[in-house]
Amino acid sequence: MKAENSHNTICTAGDVVELSRIRDFVKSKAEVFGFGDGDCNKIVLAVDEACSNLIEHAYRKDASKLLCVEIDSLDKDFIIKILDNASPFDPLNVLQPDMEEYFKKLKRGGLGIKIMLMVMDEIHYYPSTEQNPVNTLILKKHLN
Amino acid sequence: MIDEKLKIQTKKNDDIHCVYLNGYLDAHTAPKLEETFQRIINEGGYKILVNFSELDYISSAGLGVFMAYIEDVRNNGGDIKLTSMKDKVFSVFDLLGFPMLFDIDADEQDGISKLANNQFR
Repeated sequence: MKAENSHNTICTAGDVVELSRIRDFVKSKAEVFGFGDGDCNKIVLAVDEACSNLIEHAYRKDASKLLCVEIDSLDKDFIIKILDNASPFDPLNVLQPDMEEYFKKLKRGGLGIKIMLMVMDEIHYYPSTEQNPVNTLILKKHLN
Repeated sequence: MIDEKLKIQTKKNDDIHCVYLNGYLDAHTAPKLEETFQRIINEGGYKILVNFSELDYISSAGLGVFMAYIEDVRNNGGDIKLTSMKDKVFSVFDLLGFPMLFDIDADEQDGISKLANNQFR
């Protein structure tokens, strides 16, 4: 994976300091696509959660690692691809917490994937392969 | 850099510690709020009000700070009351059901009154 920024792609260090820049990039693209404030906020939140998980858990805060966020679209679908070089980890295989139980036991953390699932219309994960050594998380939101 | 993204001011009224947030509360800035809570608790403060009126963004990392301290605070006869959220910030708390665990008031004075009158969850 090369750090190639373009009109529709932002690549950053795997560092939480970069989250605000990623959010600003995604928000500007979602606004141009036609989403209102509510949906823009949801899309930005989902991307933040995905990138935060990646930086903290997959990259273990190693800022020498790279992540890229690409924006694409198909008809009325706004598509975000998050690319990384970490060991493959499919967030869709993670059991999501029941919130009543979560609050009863006063747990902490583990809500990022749940938020992504709640606010986006579709999520797909493609682990790296020998031919393509990059993991790809795809988040989709439909413009109504 | 954190200072530019999240500004925190604190004020003490009798035994109530008011925390004012300004900016963005995410995985980058959440440790700064943790430090503030830890300092208040180290000073023996367990009645904490957080005013969100100038906060523009929160992610699950920010929510996690409140989960990290609520048990300690309540076990010591106090509470964390949340007030004055913009709709976009409240919607994140509400999405996951946080009003089940925390009082979230529109007006700061309502939160202060509950703390002053020992109205805890």
